[in-house]
Amino acid sequence: MLGKGVVGGGGGTKAPKPSFVSYVRPEEIHTNEKEVTEKEVTLHLLPGEQLLCEASTVLKYVQEDSCQHGVYGRLVCTDFKIAFLGDDESALDNDETQFKNKVIGENDITLHCVDQIYGVFDEKKKTLFGQLKKYPEKLIIHCKDLRVFQFCLRYTKEEEVKRIVSGIIHHTQAPKLLKRLFLFSYATAAQNNTVTDPKNHTVMFDTLKDWCWELERTKGNMKYKAVSVNEGYKVCERLPAYFVVPTPLPEENVQRFQGHGIPIWCWSCHNGSALLKMSALPKEQDDGILQIQKSFLDGIYKTIHRPPYEVVKTEDLSSNFLSLQEIQTAYSKFKQLFLIDNSTEFWDTDIKWFSLLESSSWLDIIRRCLKKAIEITECMEAQNMNVLLLEENASDLCCLISSLVQLMMDPHCRTRIGFQSLIQKEWVMGGHCFLDRCNHLRQNDKEEVPVFLLFLDCVWQLVHQHPPAFEFTETYLTVLSDSLYIPIFSTFFFNSPHQKDTNMHQRQLSLPLTQSKSSPKRGFFREETDHLIKNLLGKRISKLINSSDELQDNFREFYDSWHSKSTDYHGLLLPHIEGPEIKVWAQRYLRWIPEAQILGGGQVATMSKLLEMMEEVQSLQEKIDERHHSQQAPQAEGPCLLRNSARLSSLFPFALLQRHSSKPVLPTSGWKALGDEDDLAKREDEFVDLGDV
Amino acid sequence: MPPRVTFQPCGWQWNQDTPLNSEYDFALVNIGRLEAVSGLSRVQLLRPGSLHKFIPEEILIHGRDFRLLRVGFEAGGLEPQAFQVTMAIVQARAQSNQAQQYSGITLSKAGQGSGSRKPPIPLMETAEDWETERKKQAARGWRVSTVNERFDVATSLPRYFWVPNRILDSEVRRAYGHFHQGRGPRLSWHHPGGSDLLRCGGFYTASDPNKEDIRAVELMLQAGHSDVVLVDTMDELPSLADVQLAHLRLRALCLPDSSVAEDKWLSALEGTRWLDYVRACLRKASDISVLVTSRVRSVILQERGDRDLNGLLSSLVQLLSAPEARTLFGFQSLVQREWVAAGHPFLTRLGGTGASEEAPVFLLFLDCVWQLLQQFPADFEFSEFFLLALHDSVRVPDTLTFLRNTPWERGKQSGQLNSYTQVYTPGYSQPPAGNSFNLQLSVWDWDLRYSNAQILQFQNPGYDPEHCPDSWLPRPQPSFMVPGPPSSVWLFSRGALTPLNQLCPWRDSPSLLAVSSRWLPRPAISSESLADQEWGLPSHWGACPLPPGLLLPGYLGPQIRLWRRCYLRGRPEVQMGLSALTVSGLQDELSHLQELLRKWTPRISPEDHSKKRDPHTILNPTEIAGILKGQSHPFWITRC
Repeated sequence: MLGKGVVGGGGGTKAPKPSFVSYVRPEEIHTNEKEVTEKEVTLHLLPGEQLLCEASTVLKYVQEDSCQHGVYGRLVCTDFKIAFLGDDESALDNDETQFKNKVIGENDITLHCVDQIYGVFDEKKKTLFGQLKKYPEKLIIHCKDLRVFQFCLRYTKEEEVKRIVSGIIHHTQAPKLLKRLFLFSYATAAQNNTVTDPKNHTVMFDTLKDWCWELERTKGNMKYKAVSVNEGYKVCERLPAYFVVPTPLPEENVQRFQGHGIPIWCWSCHNGSALLKMSALPKEQDDGILQIQKSFLDGIYKTIHRPPYEVVKTEDLSSNFLSLQEIQTAYSKFKQLFLIDNSTEFWDTDIKWFSLLESSSWLDIIRRCLKKAIEITECMEAQNMNVLLLEENASDLCCLISSLVQLMMDPHCRTRIGFQSLIQKEWVMGGHCFLDRCNHLRQNDKEEVPVFLLFLDCVWQLVHQHPPAFEFTETYLTVLSDSLYIPIFSTFFFNSPHQKDTNMHQRQLSLPLTQSKSSPKRGFFREETDHLIKNLLGKRISKLINSSDELQDNFREFYDSWHSKSTDYHGLLLPHIEGPEIKVWAQRYLRWIPEAQILGGGQVATMSKLLEMMEEVQSLQEKIDERHHSQQAPQAEGPCLLRNSARLSSLFPFALLQRHSSKPVLPTSGWKALGDEDDLAKREDEFVDLGDV
Repeated sequence: MPPRVTFQPCGWQWNQDTPLNSEYDFALVNIGRLEAVSGLSRVQLLRPGSLHKFIPEEILIHGRDFRLLRVGFEAGGLEPQAFQVTMAIVQARAQSNQAQQYSGITLSKAGQGSGSRKPPIPLMETAEDWETERKKQAARGWRVSTVNERFDVATSLPRYFWVPNRILDSEVRRAYGHFHQGRGPRLSWHHPGGSDLLRCGGFYTASDPNKEDIRAVELMLQAGHSDVVLVDTMDELPSLADVQLAHLRLRALCLPDSSVAEDKWLSALEGTRWLDYVRACLRKASDISVLVTSRVRSVILQERGDRDLNGLLSSLVQLLSAPEARTLFGFQSLVQREWVAAGHPFLTRLGGTGASEEAPVFLLFLDCVWQLLQQFPADFEFSEFFLLALHDSVRVPDTLTFLRNTPWERGKQSGQLNSYTQVYTPGYSQPPAGNSFNLQLSVWDWDLRYSNAQILQFQNPGYDPEHCPDSWLPRPQPSFMVPGPPSSVWLFSRGALTPLNQLCPWRDSPSLLAVSSRWLPRPAISSESLADQEWGLPSHWGACPLPPGLLLPGYLGPQIRLWRRCYLRGRPEVQMGLSALTVSGLQDELSHLQELLRKWTPRISPEDHSKKRDPHTILNPTEIAGILKGQSHPFWITRC
């Protein structure tokens, strides 16, 4: 069976140094040598997952210990993940909750989660890619979820090293075809197993009904209509099959420029003002075409400027706002603060923590996004204006800003279902190019921009500042961010609903997959924006847009007055954006750094206390209920992790007290002497010489 | 009533019980800066004469405790009064600056009756207090010395302190003469495991002790242990000037009109170095806790003056290692013993005397405690609000606790020097009739300043007594008083132990402590723990639990945080919901809680029970209603 493997007997082949720590103590390795071969460590494979290559006697370093400690085991690479299987699993397997879920174990790295791979040659660290002439003695893997793995290959057979290193590099770094995504093999193999939960109420926005429902919910149905003009992606592959436009807009307009230049409805506010988005018209040199574009846009604008429509303010996100390149640069700097190869590095940077953080300007980018969203919220809420977001493809910053605005203005989006529906509506159906932005296929590094992650970080700021306003917690956001790299969900692995539908459909019909082209990009790094629309509308817009000073004043007044009132968690919600208020999403970024663990638990401990109390209330409530409805069936009780009131570290729920990492600062013997009743004899021995010598 | 500025909002009721609890109350000494605004001009008011230029439309009072009071006069034609009021404030402030010694505020006895239900905090001014505390710590090898009863050994020392059993008072007196300002070694805290934490001033290198004196000094430092560690307290910790400068910078940064751009806030915060100092203190305290806990030994904190960082470190070490110090009662006793009684010069350090040695070491300590509270929310009985109240109390001149530099001055003021044997238990004992001086109030009489509702906020609702007292195993005490010289003597400096040839500097070479080693980087800044360096550890730490009761704080960049509720109070834009210690803040918080409670109270309906939860959901507090409906545990995800 594929699922089983044989342990390499490597543990005993080399006598470990005295300073060396593995979970297996040296003497155990020797005594167990015969049994080891009988013990089998299971590699858990998902349906459709295939083992590609493996190497035994690999040593996994425990992160913080400057390469002194480690575990022997087997390193395997499948078409889904890289996994390390410790030789002695029982040592790993205890009551502590390690980072683990149904799909990913503590030592599993999905191929898409791999960020950079380094090799160490004679103490020198080099980035690994392409064909290697020489094979490293040590492999360092930086993951996109900021884990860092270090594997020592010194004790591994040379052929195995070659095979595993080139295998890993090939499967993670080389450009890939879409059809090679594990998603497809999984979907085929697990087709019958996947049971969609009928009670999952997340609105997918893939039917006309969903859009109508959303229109009704936001009372936008008076002025906007859902259209099916793009059914079967006849008109445009970038647009979803169904979407919403202003009611008087003729449907043939949509076809004119393949969906470009069309105001598409995102959301309606209770006062009737709406948030719209529009992808810019293609740039043309030809005067004739320009003329046509001009008259087309004039027509469009006439439609949406006439009553019953509110005054429109155009917000051009391609200019005067963040560029995607800025975001990518900032994040690359920022993540380096958390990708720690060894603890010495961490201690070195620690002294200048705040200034390093600041110089990455990631937090400032978050602030600017939140600020922009507040500005738009102000227009809609206070000035009763429609806001039209304008962007090249309307699929990056448009998604981000419109989602943020909705989170701030619409309490429904702050429920879990509402939030998932929002992501489905604005990001998935909005055609955000997850495949390219996450660089899942490694086809073009320049396309990689963590826009969605930036969005989640902005949401985290809101959740962190106003926890009672949200149904979900930061842990939900962290888990969501991790799922960006797990290719068994189709949600984040396509560039557009069209791409998903065509590919998933073909697969189900078992048609041979045609080589898919990555969707044509119109250079999004272009600095100049679409002047066309600006020029055409320049005059009109200038009448509507206040001078920037006035704009700032409006913003300030709106912002200050909201924050000076007490917060209604079911109404409008604005974040604080002052310097001290934008913070690091510690749970996501710091969770793998053992040094950053707070042994007392910090906020996690407060939270667990709260949960404990809530459970108490719950059990009391249940008792009351029993009296009132004694005929009702007793409730099944979920197993409870917290009831034993275990001390939680700040890394919870990704780990309880981290075993190998939280190195106590005192010797074991000392602890035992203080705490262990069984050790009485030993304890006395220890204290005699301390006191009497 | 202390001299102060107060603003009374319309409809404000004078509350006899809590004379000083309004958020609009500013004791004059607390006013850091006074500004008048008229039109676009803004003038800082220093002297009474500086005002004649214009009539203020608004005055801004910047508190030294980070609060800000803005009073606008423009509405309602109050200009004439505006001028008068402002003048009066300026004058009163100028006068209070001149009178540097406050004349001891005798507060009315308001609230005395209601406050007497709890046991009073021992003020450590009587031999009985010291004896009780000694017994509580089970420090059997120690006794209370009365050698300083008349403050003739040192005025900065308390009248009583603990010295080893075997040392005679005459020896104590002689030995103390060889220490800076007569502050010789004495017990701070006895670890239940047997170690002793001592503190003392620097060796007085100019003196020339005879052999017997040296022997006495050594015996006192050794305290009967074979293993002795001398800790250079000042090493790696900021100087007084550093602390003062950092605090000034921090205050400037946190001012509402600070000119720091939003995107430069973090580096500006780093530039104050305040958080750096906080972490240095925590790191050192954590190291010392390891020293005290890991072996039975004598650990001596030595600081030249023995009145600043020694108190800070010894208090932090006790907070880290002794669960009872983390209770409300224990913490207040600790501050009283290690700071007030030990002679921390509060008046000078907080700028009360106008002397140059201003340095808010105590506020640095409070910040450290706040960090611990953040990291170990289940281990402290008191809340952030208590710390905030204490923080604000240092500048409220209603009790003598923080208004004197030495126990001697404090004693002089309350007139107790005449009667050595008297026991003071405010509210309990009957003071001699007609002698109102004897009714000494301390800062711990909270009901003088805060209402009962506010005092209730001092309790930390997350306190989990399970992790707390009585968890120490009774352990056989090693036989006390080891004959002969100690077998090992160490100097703890820059995170490492160095062997020392001798304890005292006088015999041949000058003391290592004379060499200034401060602010040199650690030899190798790394995760290598103190324990590693000292013992060359065996490998398998495994998942060894810490000994019960010991807390080891994190002190990395991301773990040290800004005490926003305290320092950012003056910024109007972040004020909302931050300062809950005020009446209105408390009301807000209360109504918020009631609102939540109302929301969380589930409606009993069959429909609710039919709902199933998705096991993948992670909940937050507002989801209580959800939890009540659901069955599975919110954190179940981690076990899937």
